[in-house]
Amino acid sequence: MHSLHSRLLLAASLVLAGFLGATGLALDKAFRVSAEAAVQDRLQSHIYALLAAADEDENGRMLPPQELPEPRFSKPDSGLYAVISEDDKQSLWRSSSLAERDIETTTQQLPGERNFSRFALADRQLYALAFGVAWGDDTGTEALYTFTVAEDTAVFQAEIDSFRSTLWRWLGGMAVVLLLAQGFILRWGLRPLRTVTTDLQQIEKGHSDHLEGHYPKELAGLTSSLNSLIEHSKVVQSRYRNSLDDLAHSLKTPLAILQSGCTDKDADADANNMLVSEQVDRMDEIINHQLQRAAVSGRYTLARPVPVGKVVERLLRSLDKVYRDKQVKVELALDTSATFTGDEADLTEILGNLLENAYKYCKHTVQVQVSTEQRTGDIEISIADDGPGIAADQVEAVLQRGTRMDESIPGQGIGLSMANEIITVYGGQLAIAASPLGGTLLRISFHD
Amino acid sequence: MHILVVEDEAQLREQLRERLRAAGYVVDVAADGEEGLYFGKEYPLDLAIIDIGLPKLSGIELIRRLRAHDKHFPILILTARGNWQDKVDGLETGADDYLVKPFHFEELEARLNALLRRASGWSKPVLDCGPISLDTGKQSITVTGNPVELTAFEYRVLEYLMLHAGEVISKTELTDNLYEQDYDRDSNVLEVFIGRLRRKLDPDNSLSPIETLRGRGYRFRLDASNG
Repeated sequence: MHSLHSRLLLAASLVLAGFLGATGLALDKAFRVSAEAAVQDRLQSHIYALLAAADEDENGRMLPPQELPEPRFSKPDSGLYAVISEDDKQSLWRSSSLAERDIETTTQQLPGERNFSRFALADRQLYALAFGVAWGDDTGTEALYTFTVAEDTAVFQAEIDSFRSTLWRWLGGMAVVLLLAQGFILRWGLRPLRTVTTDLQQIEKGHSDHLEGHYPKELAGLTSSLNSLIEHSKVVQSRYRNSLDDLAHSLKTPLAILQSGCTDKDADADANNMLVSEQVDRMDEIINHQLQRAAVSGRYTLARPVPVGKVVERLLRSLDKVYRDKQVKVELALDTSATFTGDEADLTEILGNLLENAYKYCKHTVQVQVSTEQRTGDIEISIADDGPGIAADQVEAVLQRGTRMDESIPGQGIGLSMANEIITVYGGQLAIAASPLGGTLLRISFHD
Repeated sequence: MHILVVEDEAQLREQLRERLRAAGYVVDVAADGEEGLYFGKEYPLDLAIIDIGLPKLSGIELIRRLRAHDKHFPILILTARGNWQDKVDGLETGADDYLVKPFHFEELEARLNALLRRASGWSKPVLDCGPISLDTGKQSITVTGNPVELTAFEYRVLEYLMLHAGEVISKTELTDNLYEQDYDRDSNVLEVFIGRLRRKLDPDNSLSPIETLRGRGYRFRLDASNG
C-alpha cells in the first residue's frame, strides 16, 4: 500500500460501502415496520366492513353477514379469511374462502380490544387481527363477539421484496456513481503530486533544471525547498569545478619553475634545494586554498542552525591546548542564543583560522565577543588581540593572499583570506580595524 | 626519548624514522592503527606522532583508546586535510598538538621538543639550571652565556637529564631512551658520552653538574631556576 491514491481509494470505498449498507438496512427496517402497520390498518377496515354488513334478527341479535363487502372472502383460498366467534363457543361464522380449513381462533377479545399476530396455516404464513365487539339486543342483554380477519403474508412479502429490490438497485447505482466521482476527485486532487514527480523526472533526465510552474500551497514549501537544494547543489558543483580549474592552473607555475630548475645544469645543490623548498611551500598553499574553497558548502535552505557559542568554546579549548606555553588570556563575551545558519564545518573553519591568528600574534590577551541583533537575527562576532596589528595599507593585500600568490606578507597566514572567502560565500562581511587593545580587530557579521 | 610514529605512508614513515633517529630519538614505527595501539600499550613511550587517516583503526580512535588505557604521553597528530573540524576533533579526543602535511622537519622537531618539555613539567622553552641553560627550541646550550657545541646524541643525554633535574636516572632508563631495543646494554658507550658531556660543560671541574650515583645511575645536580 505504497500509493497515496490507492490508500485514499481503499479507505473511501470502505467508508462508502459501510455507509450505504447501513442506510439500506435502516430503510429496509423502517419500511417493514410501516408495511406491517398498513396490513394491520387494512385488516381493521375489513373488520369494520364485516360489521357493517352484519344483519339483525327480529330481537335485535346479530346475524352473520350475508352479502360480503369483499369478494375475496367468498373465493376459496383467496388469501383473505374471516371468522366470527361468540364468547368461548365455536365459531359462529366462517368465510367461504377458508373452505375446509379453520383458523384457530385466538383468545376472545374484550370489546374494543385488538390483537395482531402472525401464524402459520397449512404451510402458509398469515397475519391476523382479532377484534372484540359487544352487540346489544332489544332486551338489553349484550353478546360478546370476536371478529378475526387474516391475510396471507404473500401480499406483504411481495411489497417488501419489491421495495427491497428498488432500494438496493438505487443504492448500488449511487455507490457506482459515488465511487466514480471519488476516483475522479482523487485523480484531480492528487494531480499536483504527479506533476511534481514528472517535473523531477524531467530534471533527472536533464530536460529541466528546476521545478517550474505553480504548485498548490500545501506543496509550495516542498517544491521551493527542492528548488533551493537543487540551486545550492549547482552552486557547490560549480565552486568545485572552478576550484579544480584554478588548482590545475595555479599549480602549473611552480611546476614549471621546478622543471626548469631540474634541467638547469649550472645551478648548485643548495640553490636547487632552496628552489624546491620554496615551490613546495607555494604548492602546498595553493592546494590548501583551493581545496578549502571547494569544501565550503555555503548557506542552504534546510541547514540546521549552529550555536556560535559552542563552536567558539570548542575552538578556544583546542587553541588553549596548542598554545599552552603562551598562557593567552581570553576575555569572552558570548550571547549563547546566537546561531549561524549554515554548515558547522564552515563556521569552524572561519573562526578556527581567525582565532588561531589571534592566539599566534597576540602578546597576552584576546577578546572574543558574539552578539545577536534581536530583531533581525543578524549575528556579529568580533575578535581583538593586542599583537602588532595589520597596517591599514596592507589590509587589502592580506585579504587577497591566496588569490595572488606572489604576494607574501610576513606574519600573516593564509588563514585570514581563507576565512574572508568563506564569509563572502555566506553573504557576510569581514571588517579589519585597529583594536583598542593595540592589535587587530576583526569584525564578522552575518545577515540572517 | 622514545617516540612512536604511526603513519601508513611508507615513504614518509621511513623518512621520519631516519630523521628522528639522526636527531637522537629512539623511534618505533607502526603502519596502521592496530599496530600503533599495540606499541602504545606495550612500550614505555615519551611521545607519539599519529596520522589522522590510518587504516584499520583511525587516528582519532587510536588516540581515544590510548587515553582510555591511561596512556598520558603527549600526542602530536598529523593531518593531510588542514580543516579545523579535524583538528578540533583530534585535540578534543586527547591529542596535544597538530601539524598539517606537508611540514618542514624543523617544525616537527620544534613541536616535539615543546611537547616533551611540557610533559616533564617545564612550561618555558628554555631550561635554566644554574649557569647551564638549554634552549629546547633552538636546541642550543650555553654555560654562563657562552655557547657549547654538542652532538645530537650528547644533546639528547643532557636534555633528558635536565628535564628530570634533581631525579636519579638509572642507566637502564637513560639507555632505553637513547637506543633501540636491541642495543647491547653491557657496552660502556653511555659512560663515554657522560664523560664527554662533563668535559664540554665543565672543563675546569668547578660545577660538576652530573653526579654519578654508584649502582643507581646519574643525577643532574643543579636545581632548576625556572619551570
